[in-house]
Amino acid sequence: MKDVTISYGRRAASYWFADGLPEMLFGLVLVIMAALMFLWHLYVPKRWIRLDLLIVVAGFTFYYLMERKILDFLKSQVTYPRTGYAQPPEEVPRRVQTLTTLSLRPDPPAKENVTSFQWRTVMLVFWFCYPFILNGNPLGRWAVPVLMPALAITLFAVNRRSERPYRWWSALILALAGLVFLWVDVPAPLQRPLPLLLAGGWLLAQGACTLVHYLRANPYPRTAEGVRV
Amino acid sequence: MTQRAQEIAQLDRVIHEPARLTIMLILYGVSEADFLYLQREGGFTQGNLSGHLAKLEEAGYVEIEKKFKGKVPLTVCRLTGKGEAAFAGYSQRMLGLLKPDGSAV
Repeated sequence: MKDVTISYGRRAASYWFADGLPEMLFGLVLVIMAALMFLWHLYVPKRWIRLDLLIVVAGFTFYYLMERKILDFLKSQVTYPRTGYAQPPEEVPRRVQTLTTLSLRPDPPAKENVTSFQWRTVMLVFWFCYPFILNGNPLGRWAVPVLMPALAITLFAVNRRSERPYRWWSALILALAGLVFLWVDVPAPLQRPLPLLLAGGWLLAQGACTLVHYLRANPYPRTAEGVRV
Repeated sequence: MTQRAQEIAQLDRVIHEPARLTIMLILYGVSEADFLYLQREGGFTQGNLSGHLAKLEEAGYVEIEKKFKGKVPLTVCRLTGKGEAAFAGYSQRMLGLLKPDGSAV
């Protein structure tokens, strides 16, 4: 018999992504990193190449440290008054690290209110963009047209059964956005941050669409929660 | 009375009621949720949910905390240790009863 408690935990984990804010935040961080890298290459004549790496490391560190605090604030303004608050999902690696030694049944976890967004999306984007950050444009003209479809397919495949799956047409948009650069010449200062910009823009746009849909479906309640228990 | 009928009679009636079972299931899955989330997930009316939460709180299965997020009141509900144990026992007994041989899982 299927354990019905799994469904509610999974629903709560999916609920974390119902408003699109987690994707928007990560997308925004990526776009800001790309913009900083672009400005650095545009205005600084003697480029210290490692600063690219520093910007990315600082950006990802900021994201890891501040993600939950920022999202909690945003959700308390946008989501919780509209559709309620449920305990945010834990990241899967953190949970495994703390519970495997204590639990007799670590896999699958008893409560499935867990998310793998950080390693299924954030880490994938980081590792796909890493060659660019380190070596500039490793494959020349072919780099972005090869990388972005590969990233899109990987994101789609890896997240297919996660709490936040991507739609095939959404992944197709990311892939096509990369293929466009087979015919479009990219100016030198934009070559290095381009994958971050595309991935960030894609996530930002996708999150924004989800948010608009969510806000339309759930207008702000006229009266505050009146509970008599 | 057969042994199985006796076991059915011994089921925890506080949890066994469908609405309260739904509340317990939701809270078991998330550990903590507010009134509005429970209301939407379970499809309850406000009064219905309040009544069932009061019974679960009375039984010591649910803890209810009222706080504010900014200016918005938030009624956060979570399972107590007693509630988790009671729910685990209930589901184990129920799964056992539903098996053809009636043995516990």
